[in-house]
Amino acid sequence: MKIIETKNVVKRFNGVHAVDQLSIGIEKGLISGIIGPNGSGKTTLVNLLSGILQMDSGVIIIDGKKNKRLLPHHISSFGITRTFQNIRLFEQMTVLDNILVVITDRNVFKSLFEKYSTHRHTIAEEILKKVGLWEKRDQLAVNLSYGQRKLLEIGRTLATKAEVYLFDEPFAGLFPEMRKIVSNILLELQKKNKTVVLIEHDIGLIRELCDHIFVMNEGRLLAEGKPESVLEKEEVIEAYIGK
Amino acid sequence: MDILPQLILNSIIAGAIYTLVALGFNFIYGATKFFNLAHGIMAAIGGYAVFYFTKTVGLNMYVAIILGIALAGLVGFGLDKFIYLPLRKRKASNMVLLVASLGAMTAMQALIAILFSSRFKTLTENVGTQKLFTIFGGIITQTQLIILLSAAVIMASLVVMLYKTQFGKSVRAISDDEEVARIVGIHTNKIIGTVFFIGSAITGFTGILIGFDVGIEPTMGLNLLLKGVIASIIGGVGNIYGGVLGAFLLGFLENFGIWKLSGEWKDAIAFALLIVFLIFRPRGIINK
Amino acid sequence: MEYLIHLSILFSIYAILGVSLNLVIGYAGLLSVTHAAFYGIGAYTTAIFLTKSNIGFFSSLILGIAIAVVISLLIGIILSKFKGDYYALGTFGFNAIIFAIFLNWQNMTRGSLGIPGISRPELFDIDFENNLNFLILAVILLILIYFSSRFVINSSFGRVLKAIREDETAIAVFGYNTLYFKLLIFIISAAMAAVAGSLYASYITFIDPSSFQLTESMFILTIIILGGLANLRGSILGALFLILLPEILRFVGFPSDIEAQMRQMVYGIVLIILMLYRPQGFIGEYKL
Repeated sequence: MKIIETKNVVKRFNGVHAVDQLSIGIEKGLISGIIGPNGSGKTTLVNLLSGILQMDSGVIIIDGKKNKRLLPHHISSFGITRTFQNIRLFEQMTVLDNILVVITDRNVFKSLFEKYSTHRHTIAEEILKKVGLWEKRDQLAVNLSYGQRKLLEIGRTLATKAEVYLFDEPFAGLFPEMRKIVSNILLELQKKNKTVVLIEHDIGLIRELCDHIFVMNEGRLLAEGKPESVLEKEEVIEAYIGK
Repeated sequence: MDILPQLILNSIIAGAIYTLVALGFNFIYGATKFFNLAHGIMAAIGGYAVFYFTKTVGLNMYVAIILGIALAGLVGFGLDKFIYLPLRKRKASNMVLLVASLGAMTAMQALIAILFSSRFKTLTENVGTQKLFTIFGGIITQTQLIILLSAAVIMASLVVMLYKTQFGKSVRAISDDEEVARIVGIHTNKIIGTVFFIGSAITGFTGILIGFDVGIEPTMGLNLLLKGVIASIIGGVGNIYGGVLGAFLLGFLENFGIWKLSGEWKDAIAFALLIVFLIFRPRGIINK
Repeated sequence: MEYLIHLSILFSIYAILGVSLNLVIGYAGLLSVTHAAFYGIGAYTTAIFLTKSNIGFFSSLILGIAIAVVISLLIGIILSKFKGDYYALGTFGFNAIIFAIFLNWQNMTRGSLGIPGISRPELFDIDFENNLNFLILAVILLILIYFSSRFVINSSFGRVLKAIREDETAIAVFGYNTLYFKLLIFIISAAMAAVAGSLYASYITFIDPSSFQLTESMFILTIIILGGLANLRGSILGALFLILLPEILRFVGFPSDIEAQMRQMVYGIVLIILMLYRPQGFIGEYKL
């Protein structure tokens, strides 16, 4: 079943169509890739799906529910979580706090009186150990290395135990060892029947990890399907290399 | 109904004063993109400088005025060179710049009060014997006429400079994108310094005019600044024409407002207007 | 000794103001410059009820808190629409508007004449005319407020606030309605400021609008930046500095008529130096 669908979604910036009449359906339980040249609208799409930008027109259907307007704090209740292309951590907070802060009570009053919860700390410990940052738990996020920061951001999404994970270039700038860690995390998510959406530029990784890919160009869907067949298509090659 | 022409005239005069402040403020904001709270103090510096040069040193009024304008410009230039520029180099956030400007304003305002006392002073010898003119049934003094003319002349000059000179082009480039401007070879720091000089000089001149019109006191800067900021926001921050529009709108609303309420509500009206605009049209009347 | 008690009472009042403002600026990252307005609401509520009715100090304290809560809720909702610099400006605006209300609602507040003859608290048989007893009351309230603040900061709510300060959108996508969080801390902070106001009114026994202007909000901002943002003990230190500074100045020999100005100038210079060289203040955990 399609867990997220967009129907004719449009987003303009100063007259330029960043996303242009886009209709796609993301299948539950698969790792779907979104690829395309720079400026094709991939990040804009993910921003629309996570409520950070508002559509100019169109509908986003999540788990069968139609939405004309998504706000950032809604998506978590839909079971969606995400990372950011330019890594958005809570810099002047500790590694441990970066994880804890996303798993505590959402309610304003309840969070005020929430007592120290071992349960939450256990979850945080589990996540940090998985991404190899448990030793650094008392360091400020701003002091971590680039690779560690990326892993922390991914760990943050894992902590939410969401159903749908939107990763915006999670492999960018990582050394091979760390890439392996991230790949394993994605495959593990798939084993648990979670849905993963991946924006990536590395064609090798796309072939290796994705069950299904969407190719975007100039805000529109250029092609979709299994990586092997889509990547052979002429239009796709042209879009990347240019005529 | 008799007072209508006078009300309108008062509104126009207020609008002209706010225009002068907004012009200076927008000019600097366009290039630096932060709210320089110390901007208003330049008016006080100009006014008090003239006071000092005429009453204490005994210089000729016109010489004193020129010195006052230059001094205000220099102080603005100095602020940038010694405080804002180092902070900008350090990529300090806008909040830091705002707080630093707050510190500068507070310190200078206090210094003026220490040197000259907090009491209200006037720049003219004989307040009551200024030449009066009647326009459409309203009375306007010679100084106020000069204020109107100055606002028009300075605005025109700024527009000409921005669009017809090389310097102006550089300023506009910096307003658009400082980094790109620097890469393209524009000496952004020098230009910004000059922008501060000019913007502060304009405000210094405004303070001098106000000194001749009603008088000077150490706190005049803050109030003027806030009005200038409100006018700029209403018109669209960084936008020269918008600032003018906003200034006159503010002038009219204040004067017509206090016609019905007491004069003490003037500031509250201005701020209520600001808040209304921030809620409904944060980019101002003129969308850039 | 009496004088020391007097200073300690003032210190307690400003420590409460500093700690409460730090919650909003240091922890939630909202540059609010309207704290004096809530300080004033507490002061005027106590003043009016104590002089015009039979309601006692402690009841007036609760009433002051209630009014501050309602008004801060309204203001907070409006402010939530403003971003960055505009937020600070919006808070200036509200401070100015509330000040204008203190000044012009003559029926209630007697305007610039102020309200004299405010009585000291009555509780059992304790003589609060004795300043030592009043000091104990003030310190108890300070301790309550300090520990409440610590409770808030160390809770999950406090952690979310810090995340909002760091990156509001990023924490929002994890399901937190940041508006509610910002609103609640703003209200809590306002309620605490009102407590300080009630103490002030009853201690000095006379209040007038001039104590609750923009400049007062800026003073409180200065002490928490000096003490250090996001560090409650820092605000206590900052308040100590604020109270001791005039004493040091007097000791050094500055005549007392320019004392207030001298103090202001020092604050301004301190702010500039802090921004340039040590934005985290004495022991702050957050650099602006």
